[in-house]
Amino acid sequence: MSVIMLGLHPNLIQLLESDPEKTHIDAVPVLQRDTEPKHLTTKEVRCSDLVTDSKSLFTFRAQKIRLSKDHEHFEDGDVHRHMYLQDLATSVAEDAQPAKVGEFRCHISGCSQLFDCLEAYEHHYSALHRHVCSTCRRSLPSARLLDIHILEWHDSLFQIMAQKQTMYQCLVEGCDLKFSSRMQRKDHLIKTHSYPADFRFDKTKKNKRVKEKAAARQTNTGMEVCEEEGDEPASAGGTQSEMGVSAETCESMDCSQNPGSGSEGGRTGPEEALTTTCQKPRYAYRVPHSICFGQGAVRGFRGGRRKK
Amino acid sequence: MWRLKTVPHKARLQGSGLEEFKLKRREQERALRQARRDRQLVSKRVLLHEDEDDAFEGEGTMDTCITPTSDQVVKLLHGLQAGGEKRTTLCRELRRALRDLKVQLIFIRLENSMRVVVSLLSGSDAQCRVEAGKCLHTLSHSPHPEVGMTCLLASPYLLTYLSGQSAKFTELCLYTLGNLCPENELVREKLLAQGIIPALHHCLQNHGGNLAVLEAVAFALSQLLQARDAEQKIIPLVLTSGLTSHLMAGLNSDPEYGIGASIECAWCLHYLSCSETDSSVLVNHGALSRCSSLMVTLGGAVAHGESQDGLELLIWPLLRCLGNLLARCDTCEEVGACVNDCRLLAALGVFAQSYLHTHPALGREALWVLNNLTADSVVWCSAVLGSGLVPVLIQLMPFSQGINSMVLRTLGNVAYKGTAFCLQLVEAGVLPALCATLKMADAEVVTLSLEVLHLLVASSPQVAEGFVQLKGVSVLEMMLFNSEEALRLRASYIIDHLPQPGVDGC
Repeated sequence: MSVIMLGLHPNLIQLLESDPEKTHIDAVPVLQRDTEPKHLTTKEVRCSDLVTDSKSLFTFRAQKIRLSKDHEHFEDGDVHRHMYLQDLATSVAEDAQPAKVGEFRCHISGCSQLFDCLEAYEHHYSALHRHVCSTCRRSLPSARLLDIHILEWHDSLFQIMAQKQTMYQCLVEGCDLKFSSRMQRKDHLIKTHSYPADFRFDKTKKNKRVKEKAAARQTNTGMEVCEEEGDEPASAGGTQSEMGVSAETCESMDCSQNPGSGSEGGRTGPEEALTTTCQKPRYAYRVPHSICFGQGAVRGFRGGRRKK
Repeated sequence: MWRLKTVPHKARLQGSGLEEFKLKRREQERALRQARRDRQLVSKRVLLHEDEDDAFEGEGTMDTCITPTSDQVVKLLHGLQAGGEKRTTLCRELRRALRDLKVQLIFIRLENSMRVVVSLLSGSDAQCRVEAGKCLHTLSHSPHPEVGMTCLLASPYLLTYLSGQSAKFTELCLYTLGNLCPENELVREKLLAQGIIPALHHCLQNHGGNLAVLEAVAFALSQLLQARDAEQKIIPLVLTSGLTSHLMAGLNSDPEYGIGASIECAWCLHYLSCSETDSSVLVNHGALSRCSSLMVTLGGAVAHGESQDGLELLIWPLLRCLGNLLARCDTCEEVGACVNDCRLLAALGVFAQSYLHTHPALGREALWVLNNLTADSVVWCSAVLGSGLVPVLIQLMPFSQGINSMVLRTLGNVAYKGTAFCLQLVEAGVLPALCATLKMADAEVVTLSLEVLHLLVASSPQVAEGFVQLKGVSVLEMMLFNSEEALRLRASYIIDHLPQPGVDGC
């Protein structure tokens, strides 16, 4: 069947072969449009310290696109036409430049590894970033942060001790400072380690679910993830060839020799995280470069997986 | 004049010859790309002469292909000036000699050389006229700007001959003029002043139905329309000249002649539809309805594997014409009157899928047309849902280079219309596909995925619930660690507004 040979979706053939009377646009059952769009609220919502409304946050609008004749999107077609005009056109086989499948990229700031396919990506994520708290099923991107999470959230002793001692650790790997309250730690993270202003810190364990966002300025992002209400698998799958992975990830990170120059990410996009050269340190306290992970994860995350 | 079939004989080269050819071709392609980026993409065409079927430049191994010396050229010129019966023969010799680029330069720099040619062109001897015309044609093909400029001397005659009787000679003059057009602004100004646009129109009226002439006219016109100064000076003239209806008529291809003429007409229409000037002329001549019905026909041909080589050369400009005219039509009624066949959706899907492995940019442009169809139209969005196009779009989502972005925009257009639309999208399986695109490297793709996801989950609790059950939340959670604030904020907003199935206290 020509359908199978061409790899075309059967729906297309079916539609093409339909009776023209039935395919007239007037014959289409028109769905009811919403009178008021539900997704655009000007009602302001407080997302921690940032007051926002979905209308300004989500900027997509359905719109037509006009392309001028010199637009770069028209390049391939124009080149093809001129090849033909200049008698350079040949049969299709020689001309072929097949479409590429998009690459996948690990979203964890500071990691940003690229993968050819979804499986490789999923494997990587399971192996390196899925540190799951067995109590509340939250997923933390590193073992260290999981440790801190468990300590601060599920250890009753911690609460008692915290009243008398400075127990709240700075989330930045290698910074050994401790604070007596979450607020102080938060201030420290913002002032000293340049965490972004929109970084959302703990909220009290009340009804509203709160999300704390990553501070992505440094490679050693300290963060906590708020509750995952879904059924998070208790253990992360996949084995981790730790040395192998570390070599890989170390290479992909800018493990330069200058202390404090390891800052990547920040406002730059994930693409730049891999290739950016040493940037000016954004924070007073420098992360010693020697803290590179012997085992596994990326810079800023302590290696080794927590067993469940 | 339809070329594609003749070229493959070049590819008869075996082994290393073929490799060399491929390499050369790739280099030329690279050069063309660079030229386009520099806004200097210009091409000239050579009309094959019947008595020179092995006359591809650079390949000639004919005995007579010894480059004449400067003296011999001078002798030729004197011979021509002298007149008499030998003129035609001498002219033929000259034409052969002029294939060499150096000889071209020598010749045009000789005193009075071009005047001699022009006088032969305008003379009473018909055969001589043809030979002189061929000389000019060869010269017009030269890459040297100097050479092209001297040909301008002949332009008034070339234009006059467009209304002549001989179709073949007219064709020759047309290609010569077409080659001169891209030279520079001065040349174009002169040609416009000499009335090239009305001349082209009269030519078509005279030689109505002759597809070779139509192809030649449309080629010359496309050269004019592609120019940088076309917007102000040329397009308004063309739109009022009456040429538009001929171009429309020319879109139909003839099975015997092939699609050469249709291709040229389509490219002219593309340049016209890109312009800023009022598109109503085009629409009133039926451009929208013509293009869309042709798309359906061509879509059917491609789908059934009946398409010929080079069909993309026709599909490409038609897609662009359709896309830009849709974008410029202000009212839905305007569109609805002209574009009313749902099979257009199938055609666009067919192009997107079929050309994935050869010309993905064409697929992307087909999806662009789909975006423009659905952006403002509840009806077309409903049609997309009802026609089973969504699974096809989902199949296209893994592909980069702008394909997935355009698919996401289209899905966004549909979701934007409201709850009923979102529900159907979800039923068609969009949510798992979004979970995959959220993990992609391209920031634009991820952003669009978040936008579409937001539209869907905000539309109804069912959808939000469904997403949660798909373990979608963990995908979003990763976003929270992304270094891009814009992505983090969107992801966290969505997470915040998802239902919480039974929290065990926090």
